[in-house]
This record gives sequence, structure tokens and C-alpha cells, in this order.
Amino acid sequence: MHHQIDSLAYTNRLRNVPPEHKLLFAMILFSLSWVAEPILQLLISCWIGVWIIYYAGIPASIYLRLQAIPFAFWLTSIPALVLGGVQLSNLGLIQADIRWGITIGNVFLYVSNQGLEQVITLLTRSMALTACMYFILLTVPFVEIVRILHNLGCPSLITELLTLMYRFIFLLTETASELLTAQQTRVGYRTWKIGLRSAAIVVRQLLHRTIENYRQISLGLTSRGFRGEFRVVSIRGYQPDIRYEVEAIGGCLLLFILIGWHYVART
Amino acid sequence: MSPELDLLTFNHVEYTYPCSQRPAVQNLTLSIPQYRRCAVIGRNGCGKTTLFRLANGLYRPQRGVIQWQGKPLRYQRQALNQLRYQVGLVFQNPEQQLVATTVAEDISYGLCNLGLSDSEVAQQVQKALLDFDLINLADAPINYLSLGQKKRVSIADVMVLQPQLLLLDEPTAYLDPQQVRNFRLMLETIEKAGTTVVLATHNLDFVEAWADWVIVMDEGQVVLTGTPETVFSQEQKMADLGLGVPLVVEFLKAIQDEFNATQLQQIRQGLRD
Repeated sequence: MHHQIDSLAYTNRLRNVPPEHKLLFAMILFSLSWVAEPILQLLISCWIGVWIIYYAGIPASIYLRLQAIPFAFWLTSIPALVLGGVQLSNLGLIQADIRWGITIGNVFLYVSNQGLEQVITLLTRSMALTACMYFILLTVPFVEIVRILHNLGCPSLITELLTLMYRFIFLLTETASELLTAQQTRVGYRTWKIGLRSAAIVVRQLLHRTIENYRQISLGLTSRGFRGEFRVVSIRGYQPDIRYEVEAIGGCLLLFILIGWHYVART
Repeated sequence: MSPELDLLTFNHVEYTYPCSQRPAVQNLTLSIPQYRRCAVIGRNGCGKTTLFRLANGLYRPQRGVIQWQGKPLRYQRQALNQLRYQVGLVFQNPEQQLVATTVAEDISYGLCNLGLSDSEVAQQVQKALLDFDLINLADAPINYLSLGQKKRVSIADVMVLQPQLLLLDEPTAYLDPQQVRNFRLMLETIEKAGTTVVLATHNLDFVEAWADWVIVMDEGQVVLTGTPETVFSQEQKMADLGLGVPLVVEFLKAIQDEFNATQLQQIRQGLRD
């Protein structure tokens, strides 16, 4: 999935839009999602969905699969938030909060009204916030995020480490995949016990090969004149798109007004 | 272009890897003449990669002297950095050499290390992208390139620094026949830029077609040097070294009774071209 997200970030239809604009847009929506009402959070999720699926051209199946991750977490948290239990003698204290209940012995188990509200808020908020995050992950290549961080004054040490780690993730996954394939061709996962032993070999070999890779890449850096600073120059030119800019600015302004109106109406 | 000047010379050089009992190269003596197309051949483990890494100053010999343009190598950091811009090294495995995330950024890395301004770097990167037919891949992430493309990028990485000597370690390994033909065209571009090329390879047919100077190594030493004709004429010795001779040489041997020496030479040249 990691490779797929990375690949889409490089090939999506919003690739030519300046990454700074995309990041700013996502950050503004992220902030608005924090303070917005659930209905507006839902609206934000749908709107970003349009940006991701229609404008960026990310396959809906991939986006939905990604959204299923926080959804699964949300599902597992429902019982803890919705279900409650009290002694029958204390039933009067929570009468107003009961949506539905059942008595089991001396205990009253019930579905909480407040819990249901929380569950809905949690769902809409997590959907909106993760949509903002996925918008960044799916439309801005990691290297551009690092470059923006660098331009914003993030220490070089951190940005260089991020860049090298990013390269190593691919080397590591490729090595792991090669080892696994090599083992599978020799029936290395025939039984659970053999599979466990094979997996242990992969882990051990990964360590060895990572160290060897590190040594060789160090030599590679040295042979290319590494002087303690990892500096590269990007020659890519970006094309701001007026149509996207108008929609993004207009949409954010509208959301801002709606949030303000909701806030005023409530108070 | 005078072919007489020796760019790089090794005099009785010995190098043993840490934790190894056996020297990787020993009593190694050779010269790399300027503007010659040099090929280093030999079995696996004969010391070809070590020779290249010694030439690039990555390893320091325990014995002997390596000279660059007649002057012994100095192993101070500044001198080594200067050497590495004059003696470019392309690794066998491009993965070990590509460090940035996109093609253009990777090519810019060595230029940035030279301390050039961003605009100068961008200008030279653009030129390298055009020279090495990488313009369409400029913004492509390194991780998604094919091995042939990665090799091309790793050569562009080094060539953008305009080295006088280019060392290519197994450049044709893993390449398909079309990629090998493209690689040969790329070598012509490099040679036109005035760079002397030395490559280590197992591909004897490629050596026969491209090289005009062959260095044969065995067990860390040079055992044969000369033109391809001279070296490959010693069939028995090449067989003893476990190398054999190129297909063209075998073919010429098979037809030698039917043609005279001049005709054979013409056939050989025709096959090379």
C-alpha cells in the first residue's frame, strides 16, 4: 500500500499544482474540520473526496480502502462509547441518557444517548481529518513535503534524514520482497513451523543486508563528493490552476461562514 | 588527442579488505592511457571492483603507489574530493549510487556538493537530462525506474561532473541486448565529451566490439594487457584463466582458411561496427 500511495502521489492529475498550495488547502480544511459541526465535517469529507477522486484521479477503490482504516478503528470504539451499565439503585441518575436498555440481574445495561452523539461526532470528525491527511499523502510526493519543511526552516539534519529514510524504506521492502519470493520458490512457507523459521531468516537477513546496503550507499555518497550536507536541487516547474484556486478559496470561505453562522446560531 | 599520456598508474599496489586474510589486489601494476577505450576483464573476485575503488580514492592501498596524471594520490579530504570529480566511478549496482528521490534531484547531488548555485546546478542538470535522454524521466521517482534506466541515471550522475576518467563497473550487467546497444551509443557521447572510459565487464563480445585496450586480471594481478586482437589471440591462456574468447574471434578462427589476413581484418572491423 505504501508503494501505491507513493506512486499515486507522483502520477495524480494534481501533480502540477504547486505543493505549497495543496498543503495549505489541506491544512486549512484540517483546522476547519476541528471546529466544524458534524454536518459540516461530513460536507468537508465529501468535498475532499471530490478533489481526491475526480480532480486528482485517484481510483475510488483505493481511496475507500484507505478510509476503511480509520473506519475500522471507529467501529471497534463504538461499544466502549455507546454501552453503559449501572446498578439498578442508580438508574434514576442516568434516566435521561438512556436510549434503550436491558436488565441483567442487579445491573442495567443501556445504550447511551450521549455516547451515540459522541460516536457520530467521532465518525464525521475522523472522516474529515483523515480525508485531509489522505489528500496530502495522495497528491503531494513525500520529497516535496520534505522540501517545503526545509523551506519553512526545518533543520537540515531532519530533512536529510527523512530523505535518506525514504530511500531506505524502498530498499528494505524490495530486499524483503526478494527474500520472501526466494523462500516461496523453495516452499519455505509449506507449514506454519517452516514458515516461522523462514520468517526468522528474513528478519536476520534483512538486518545483514541493510547494514551492507548502508555501507555501499555510504561509499556511493563518498564517491560523489559528499561533504556533510545532503543538498539537491529540484528543477520541476509548477502550474497554478486558477479554476482549482477559485474553488478552493471559495469553498474555504463558504465553510468559514457556515461554521461562524452555526456558532452564532448556537449561542 | 594524444594517446600516450597515462592518466592513471598503479605501481605494485596491494590492498586487503579489513577482516580478510587474502589481498584483493596485490603487486598490481598498470596504466590507463588517456583517450583509450579500456576494458578490464577477469573472473569474479579477481579485483576489478577493488581496482576501481582504489582509483576513486575510496580505499587506500596498504602498499604501492597510485598516480593520477603523474602525481601520487593524496588522501586528505579536500584532495580526495578533487580527485573524485576528475575520476568518476559508476557502481555495478546503481541502487548503491542513487541517493535522491527523483532523477533530476539525483543528478543535481554531485553538482550541489561542488558548491554551485541553484541556477547553475539547474542549468547543468537540464543539459545532462538532454544528453542522456532522461528528459522525460526528470521528475520520475528513482524507486520506480527500471534497472536500465537506473544505470543511465547513475552514469549521468557522474558525467554531469565532467570527469576526465570514467570508471564503469559492470555496466552491461542485467541489461537486455537493446539496452546494451543504447549503452554503446551513450559511450560514444561520453567519449565525444573528451572523457576516457574504463569499464570492467564479463561481456567479452562487448569488449571485442568496443575496446581498443584490454587489461586481464586474475587473483588481484594484471596477467595480460594489449589490444583486443593481441589479448584474444592467446586463446589457451584465456581458457586457462576461465575467460575464453569472444564469439567473433571464434568465428574468425573458423573461417580463417578461406580468407587472407586483410579480408579477415575487414570482416572483424565490420562485425565490430
